[in-house]
Amino acid sequence: MSIEEQQTEDLIRRLPDKLYKMVDSNPLGDIQRYSIHIRIQHALTFISFFFLAITGLPIHFNDAFWAQPLNEAFGGIESTRIIHRMNAAAMTFTMAYHVLTMIIGTLIKIKDGTFDIRRTQIPMPKDAFDLIHDLKFFFGLEKTRPKMDKFMYKQKIHYIAAAGGNSIMVVTGACFLFPDIVAKLLPVDQYYVQSFARLAHPHEAVLALLVIAFWHWYNVHLEPGRFPMQWTFLTGKIAREHQIEEHFLDYERELRNNPEERKYIEKVVEKYERELD
Amino acid sequence: MRKFFTCLAVFLVLALFMGVNPPTSSAADDENCLMCHKYRKMGIISPEGVRKYYYVDEPTFMQTVHSRVPCRDCHYFIKQIPHKPVNTGVTCDTKCHVINPATMERFSHKPIADVYEKSVHGRAKRPEGEKGAVDKNKPYCIFCHINPIYNPEERETGLPKEITDRCNVCHENEEFAKHWYMHTSRRVRDVKRQGTQIVELCNTCHKDENMLEEQEMLNEALLHKEMGKKFTFAGESYDESFHAKVTKYGLKGAATCVDCHVDSDNYYMAVHDIRNSSDPSSPVHPDNRVNTCKKCHYHGEADESFVNVDPHPTARLSDNPFIFYASIIYNIIAYTAFFGLVGLKMLETVGRLRDGVKLTIRNGSSWRRGLK
Repeated sequence: MSIEEQQTEDLIRRLPDKLYKMVDSNPLGDIQRYSIHIRIQHALTFISFFFLAITGLPIHFNDAFWAQPLNEAFGGIESTRIIHRMNAAAMTFTMAYHVLTMIIGTLIKIKDGTFDIRRTQIPMPKDAFDLIHDLKFFFGLEKTRPKMDKFMYKQKIHYIAAAGGNSIMVVTGACFLFPDIVAKLLPVDQYYVQSFARLAHPHEAVLALLVIAFWHWYNVHLEPGRFPMQWTFLTGKIAREHQIEEHFLDYERELRNNPEERKYIEKVVEKYERELD
Repeated sequence: MRKFFTCLAVFLVLALFMGVNPPTSSAADDENCLMCHKYRKMGIISPEGVRKYYYVDEPTFMQTVHSRVPCRDCHYFIKQIPHKPVNTGVTCDTKCHVINPATMERFSHKPIADVYEKSVHGRAKRPEGEKGAVDKNKPYCIFCHINPIYNPEERETGLPKEITDRCNVCHENEEFAKHWYMHTSRRVRDVKRQGTQIVELCNTCHKDENMLEEQEMLNEALLHKEMGKKFTFAGESYDESFHAKVTKYGLKGAATCVDCHVDSDNYYMAVHDIRNSSDPSSPVHPDNRVNTCKKCHYHGEADESFVNVDPHPTARLSDNPFIFYASIIYNIIAYTAFFGLVGLKMLETVGRLRDGVKLTIRNGSSWRRGLK
């Protein structure tokens, strides 16, 4: 270990528990988090999800007072069904794009020797312990939040739910769009296939909409400290205080790899230690 | 003088009544039925206490396809005027005024009435006996067919002179050309009902669960006939289908009741010949379903596997236990996931507020400095 590396490790050991309260942050983001591909995928998902929801909901809730006007606003059923299918194709493309990005990105990291499973969305036992630790913190039973990695437990829950939900929507949507082809391809009684598709497609859509509206948007817009929004989806960067608070283990990597950040945080730590003395 | 005033009073009363509804053109009313039936209040209160009107609005009647049919062509049972109370209703299989140029016989709706009578909906006008008790809820012709009016668009634009001039060369009475054209042109045009109208019409009965349950019970008790599994909720279950949802929004081409339950070789004939699904001639009989689904399902790819799709889906335990239980499980998972996440979020907010996070627009830091 070089002297610089030793100093870095020493600095990391000296970091105070509530460092996130001591640092300055740029709300637009200080530390790189997402690549341009992920941001494009987020934009495509956002747009396609919005139009899928707004053209699909009037079909499912066709008795509701708002259903007919909403459907008419997009030109009536002849055009809303085309808009719905075009956006379904966009969402399917985005899923494929994302899978491709993940595979290629992972292969490159493996080749470079930088792949670290702890930085992926794959659920680990630590996530369960982090959730319990965080719950204790929320109830005031722990003094600090857990040290979490690039993706914390709630992001993994969201990611798995979104991946699963999208897959269900694409498969069941395909059952509606190509029922005769699905009947030929799947050696399962179509009574059950289509019955399940009819159940899953609208229910999954409504669940996704509720989770996006009441959880995701709250997380990234209304949650104290995030208002009016987290800019990561546009800038690809995360605010320093947020990174330290919820992704401390990834911040440690940032300190190891970024001398500028190290220099800044050293000053913060020294100031803190002086105040303690 | 007294005689004079009596005559004047009678004249004034008659003039008053005549003024209520001045005839607009001469109906086929040579026997002067409208002398009485033109009065709006004309009617009876039946022994059951139901008020019945026998008023005929002549101006409206004159715009209908039956305007040239003398009253007694249909109300043939009336033998004298004024007539006695009538217990027999009009049936649609009587012969009327028009001479069919092909057969040189008087026209009648009898052929289609005969087809209809053999259909699953078929009934006599005045059903009797055990079958009659079962049939009383079934629709008769006038349930679906009102006396249709001529095409309103043509009433507004007037007759096409280039056509009627030619008729008037031989048919000196211009009324002939007018009625002939109006009657025929309405028929030549596509007069199929729209999808929403078909569904609404069928659902008048097929969504009336009380009536359908009674019908099911009568069929089993009197005719020992078992009705289909979805008989009592056919309309309601259709509404749950994708076909119904897009039809409701006016999408042309999505299957309505008649698209599946009717053999469409001759649509107008077929709609009167709806058969029970157990009848081998029904398009929804198990042996015919592939061909029926192929009519729409794309590229003619529908096969034996495809026809297992349920076009009348429900989540009723008695109808589809798989979906009944699947939807319960799905709802438990969905509610747990949603409220679990929202609950977690609330706890997080409370915990972080306690930790000192600010509820303001972020400018540099979200944290109250000094709180360590």
